[in-house]
Amino acid sequence: MAEYIKGWAGRRTFLKGMALGSAALASAGTALLGDRSVDGLGVARAWADGSRHKMAFIQWQPHTVPAAWSKGIEDVLKPQQVIDYELLDGQNKVEVQASLMDTLISQGASVIFLQPIDSVALAPSIAKAKRAGIAVITLNIDATEPHAAHVEMNHYYGAMDIAKAMGDHMGGKGKVAILNAPPGIIIRDQRTNGFVDGLKKYHPQIEVVADQVADWDRKKAQDVLHTILAAHPDLGGVYGVNDSMALGAVDVAKEKGLIGKLVIFGNDGEVAALESIENGELTGTQYTDVYQQGRLAAAAATVLATGGVPATAFAHQSHLLMPYIIATKDNVGSIQPSQRW
Amino acid sequence: MTLRPATAALIFFFAATVAFFCLTAPRFATATNAENLMSGFSFAAILAMGEAFPILARGIDLSIGAIVGVVGMVVFDLTQILHLPGYVILPAALVTGAVAGVINGVLIVRLRLSPFIATLATLAAFRGFVYAISGRQLVPGLTTTPITDPWITGLETYFDLGGALGLTNFIAMPWFPLSFFLMLALFAIFQTLALATRFGRDLYSVGGNAEAARLAGVNVNRTVVAAYAIAGFSAAVAALIMVARFTTSTEALGTGAELTAIAAAVIGGVSFSGGIGSMFGPALGAFLLGAVLLGLTLMGVPQFVQQIITGLILLAAVGYDRLMALARQRRLASNLAEAA
Repeated sequence: MAEYIKGWAGRRTFLKGMALGSAALASAGTALLGDRSVDGLGVARAWADGSRHKMAFIQWQPHTVPAAWSKGIEDVLKPQQVIDYELLDGQNKVEVQASLMDTLISQGASVIFLQPIDSVALAPSIAKAKRAGIAVITLNIDATEPHAAHVEMNHYYGAMDIAKAMGDHMGGKGKVAILNAPPGIIIRDQRTNGFVDGLKKYHPQIEVVADQVADWDRKKAQDVLHTILAAHPDLGGVYGVNDSMALGAVDVAKEKGLIGKLVIFGNDGEVAALESIENGELTGTQYTDVYQQGRLAAAAATVLATGGVPATAFAHQSHLLMPYIIATKDNVGSIQPSQRW
Repeated sequence: MTLRPATAALIFFFAATVAFFCLTAPRFATATNAENLMSGFSFAAILAMGEAFPILARGIDLSIGAIVGVVGMVVFDLTQILHLPGYVILPAALVTGAVAGVINGVLIVRLRLSPFIATLATLAAFRGFVYAISGRQLVPGLTTTPITDPWITGLETYFDLGGALGLTNFIAMPWFPLSFFLMLALFAIFQTLALATRFGRDLYSVGGNAEAARLAGVNVNRTVVAAYAIAGFSAAVAALIMVARFTTSTEALGTGAELTAIAAAVIGGVSFSGGIGSMFGPALGAFLLGAVLLGLTLMGVPQFVQQIITGLILLAAVGYDRLMALARQRRLASNLAEAA
């Protein structure tokens, strides 16, 4: 379902893919609780005895992606009226995330959603939550301590497909630059390695001439790309490891009159990127329905909390990969307004 | 030792804050919350005490968070790549931190750089160095491998003092983290160093008036270098506590820690005009900031509001420091007038 697709046929494939993907995720969600008999009537029971559940999402730092997850989570949790939900900010510091985990554990939260800054650093906190019977669901970055569930964008294979689509647009040859995240983060490695491996596999004649850190940031990406273009005026393509950096590249292309000449791909699929594709500026991006990712995590969390499933009930951790498409001008129209984040 | 008005005000403010949250924030007055405060902020208290030394010498150390990063990564590399035993790594980590502090001190006294500029430069340089030596980049698999050396992970130990003393029969007691006792031990050492040694006297006189101290025969340069070395050493202890808590180190470890440390020191009554303050204030200041953060989180106050409130507390502390300095000047002026 992840193939690079064109036209109406492609749109149908895409929609089918999303439907199949959702079904797969739903069944995975069921499998999550497969070997466990759930007593009582969940939400109804909580309603009856007046008990409330506390849930919180500890994000990494403010960004479009965690904001959309949080909205997706809220969409599912709010209507149930027995769950108090809040979004907490990790301020890009592991010590802040660990302290917030401690606080939520002492508050007796039912479920904690976590976008860990580091896979190992938050593992002791997850273990502590588990001992207290609190289920932890991680988003995008997995932790080394097994927990209830992990819901992730398909970073590696998505990036391979980006490389394929980008090479197709470049005619299979030329020079590309990568605008990258700071090192030390797993998704940076997955999104970079997938891209490089994808180029090797599909377009071995394309050369990566620059791989520079632009801190996930649009403004920083502009500065970095200016420098790269000075060294490589014949640059044919730019891959931004997230959409913010790709949009920074679009800004530079506009300024230098390179729109249409420079092939620019992003990653995430936020609304600004989709609009830029529709305007014919950004060439494409890997689109994931991030609202859906949040809703899915929240749906699983609700079952765990209201069904009284403790963190200790899990034999092993579920791992859910989100479906995605490579959105380009040809298929971006098939992404519905309600799916745009 | 007499209780300075600034210290008395801080103790009162801390007690008032804790009392306020005990009444308003759900689950604030619980044993687990006290445990979270101790385990989450002891390292911040250690950093604040370390930061107090350069400020007492009328300087500042902006690089203290970056030193945490350097020491964290050195520990990471020594355990994960070189597989050295923990009893070698612990002293190596402390030496690394102290050496980084000495570099700061030497830049300031030899090149005559302002402490702000010198440590701003080393802040960037040390952080860059962390990336350069990062074992997480050199050996990618190590990113997901926790540190298991018992000498290091043993720093993250909790003691059931209440149980040992039989107090748990009467009241729920928090388990005390080892980091809290490390903080207390450093407090005792630093307080003695500052108030009861020749070095301490030199430090206060250099901070009060470096030129007068030099004329009185104080080795100003050595005192300043030592102050920064102590700050670096404290950063190393804090780094060890953090690495033990997280079972790994990251390239960003300690980022921004200097701001909290400086804020805690100033809230703790260490004056930016140098030569005034003790170790008790910064330590309590760090726990005050911690209590405010935990309390507001428990009350469900959004974090940007928490940051605003932290800023206001800092502003109040600086304002109080300034008022006190003005009062001192007025007293001095009137004393001089009387003498004349």
